[in-house]
Amino acid sequence: MGGDSDSGEKARSDASAPPDKQLPPRDILDIEPVYEALGHSRRRYLCYTLLEDTEWSLTDLATKIAAWENDVPDHATTEAQREAVYVSLYHAHVPKLVDEGVVAFDDATETITTAEHTEQVLSALRGIGASLDSDQEHHARGDR
Amino acid sequence: MSERTDRRTVDGDDPDSGTDTYQWQVAQRHYEPDGQRELTTTIVYTIAEAEGVSPCEVKSPPLYESVDVPAIENAFFGPDISDESRQGVGTVEFQYADYLVKVRSDGWVQVYEPSERA
Repeated sequence: MGGDSDSGEKARSDASAPPDKQLPPRDILDIEPVYEALGHSRRRYLCYTLLEDTEWSLTDLATKIAAWENDVPDHATTEAQREAVYVSLYHAHVPKLVDEGVVAFDDATETITTAEHTEQVLSALRGIGASLDSDQEHHARGDR
Repeated sequence: MSERTDRRTVDGDDPDSGTDTYQWQVAQRHYEPDGQRELTTTIVYTIAEAEGVSPCEVKSPPLYESVDVPAIENAFFGPDISDESRQGVGTVEFQYADYLVKVRSDGWVQVYEPSERA
């Protein structure tokens, strides 16, 4: 019984330990950006394109994604298709990925580059890409 | 609280019937939940029409910074759960630049501008 009360003491003192000692390691908590980034097909595709190249203009990205969604080569996409994808990237998906630290976006040049959490997302993609989404990855690696 | 009931909002069948006196509706588009176009895209296209510019020229700021569009999408146009619809009924309003944007649960996206500009 005395031992029990001792361990109770111990648990309490652990509970009052600094928060960083109780939480899981930071890299596990940071899996959140992976789910957020990959939770929408357009964001998933955008991340796939980062496997191919780490810097993209928003216009080129919109063209690639429009081609993929409509299952045509890049040059066969229509202005309307590219425009609709561009708008959704600019107003929804890119800011979301910037928020999650998955990409960086330069407003002036409208260029997307990598950020602190890019590598986590890409390694997750490498893991699931082969089995589940090989078509997307194949597309993203982009033979026209 | 009484302010809220005094305030006229758009509802009912005629989209033009209940506009606030200081706002004019300048553009509207219908969002198709099953279509390829996202709700964000439909909203930006409607704003572009109101501004008289191409959708790619609607730039400041990204809609993401003004309103949580996926939340509206889930509330109004989300999937059924066990054959039960969980879709809400109503209107979400938010400000974008000079415009008032309304997203209705029947799919109509409407953009209003201050009356002095009309």
